[in-house]
Amino acid sequence: MKLAVRIADVTFPNPILLASGTFGFGLEFPDVVRRLGGIVSKGITRKPRAGNPPPRIWETPGGIINSVGLENPGVDEFVKSILPALRFGRARVLVNVAGDTVDEYAEIIRRIDSDLVAGFELNVSCPNVRQGGIAFGQNPKLVARIVSAARRRTRKLLVTKLTANFVDPVLTARAAADEGSDAVSLINTLLALAFDAQGRPALGARTGGLSGPAIKPFALYCVQRVAQAIRIPVIGGGGIISGADVREFLNAGARLVQIGSVNLVDPYAGIRILEEFRAQLAE
Amino acid sequence: MTIRSSRLTAPACVSARIVERELLAPDIVSVWLRAGRIAETIKPGQFVQIQIPDSRRDVSGAMRSTCPEPFLRRPLSIAQQRGNRIRLVFRVIGQGTARLAASRPGEEWNLLGPLGRPAPALRNRDVILVGGGIGIPPLLFLAERIAGANRVLALLGARNRPDLILRSEFRALRTKLALATDDGSLGRKGLVTDNLQSVVCNLQSELPPVVFACGPRPMLKRVKELTPGIESYAFWEERMGCGTGICYGCAVKRAGSNSYIRFCQEGPVLRLSEIEI
Repeated sequence: MKLAVRIADVTFPNPILLASGTFGFGLEFPDVVRRLGGIVSKGITRKPRAGNPPPRIWETPGGIINSVGLENPGVDEFVKSILPALRFGRARVLVNVAGDTVDEYAEIIRRIDSDLVAGFELNVSCPNVRQGGIAFGQNPKLVARIVSAARRRTRKLLVTKLTANFVDPVLTARAAADEGSDAVSLINTLLALAFDAQGRPALGARTGGLSGPAIKPFALYCVQRVAQAIRIPVIGGGGIISGADVREFLNAGARLVQIGSVNLVDPYAGIRILEEFRAQLAE
Repeated sequence: MTIRSSRLTAPACVSARIVERELLAPDIVSVWLRAGRIAETIKPGQFVQIQIPDSRRDVSGAMRSTCPEPFLRRPLSIAQQRGNRIRLVFRVIGQGTARLAASRPGEEWNLLGPLGRPAPALRNRDVILVGGGIGIPPLLFLAERIAGANRVLALLGARNRPDLILRSEFRALRTKLALATDDGSLGRKGLVTDNLQSVVCNLQSELPPVVFACGPRPMLKRVKELTPGIESYAFWEERMGCGTGICYGCAVKRAGSNSYIRFCQEGPVLRLSEIEI
């Protein structure tokens, strides 16, 4: 049975990717990464980022709200001490790139020049940073500028990770496709606010992003809407916890999927989900 | 920021059967589980992540396709270990721990572990344990492992007599023991850190002691104040996401810097001098 998926020049051994920020750099569980289609690294910024004050995680019915805030060592340290370790056999590595400015996206990509990396995911949808992130992803013109600048820097696979918060992702997906993005991924998290039992904001950063099964129906809707409107492949994700969920996203028009929150519950979930998906195809 | 995996082996996902369950206080539950590989390898300081059992489905493994509710696992430290069994002691504080407390012998929990780094190994040292309330259990596991090769003094405190749990287990170790309760119903009337203050004021040995503390945040803060220049550690507890180092959801402020410690990975045993409380 053929599970491999090819996008541009990159072949993924199967359609299941580990979503950015939900599996670190894959180094804690390399044997899980090796079995899957690939991993999207934690978001990399130009300078190191400490991340947001705790608490960074809040549990909700059917999911979690997080406000990690792109904690990462910055691109130079990433290239020096993490990148050389990202060897996962046939599983592909995409580096999630998060700029504070349009130029920073291209600058980060320029510094990551390695055969270990199959491509880049442009993060224009992080809800947990003050600059950039979601503010870029809500504006099709800015998305176009970022993709255009990144495209000039690299011939590797370029994925644009879009938001569905207060913007029609069809508009930003078209902008990304027009400027040469090879694929789009969606829906990242949904903007969220929660209070603790004492009535205070539950998260140290006050607001965060909701993920998990609670957002799956909306994610499916967005994936279908975008897949019907553009020609480049869609990578879908939002609340996947089973092989049946994978099939739903593929039915909605996704070519690949990303699994995220479920990794926090079970770091081996990716393997189980792949096996469930494989069993379903065999039926 | 250090990026590395501190674990020697990947954690195991184990279906653990409850063999004994007991209420130690109205809201404190003790559970003995048959935990196979986890029990055989876990060390003091390390913890397990427990999937909250759900009566609607088979809990016999990690294989699940329905949405868990509550969604995240619950991290718990180890109170004791014997052969292939571990003992967990926890307070009921929310819907997750309430579900765990409702489990009965014969039922199974899905455990992920061992997680986190073990406490440092010690030999021939004076060790002071400072346990407050539900912070006492992981110090018992540590005490059992180190009592043979070190001189251990356990300072335990709680709100009142019923909450001062695991006393007989500590007594069985024949370590020195000093108790304190807020209401004076057992031991000294006052805080466990009052006893610590008396001890550190009278230190005489040439080699300073090592201090391990587990308890509420104000207690840890006081321990830190009382032990400048002394090698002192906290068994830190905090809301956690994955427990395996991949989500960056648990963060403790590193003292004197603008960075955070991913404490499920670098901890949960952390040098008090390294963290901001």
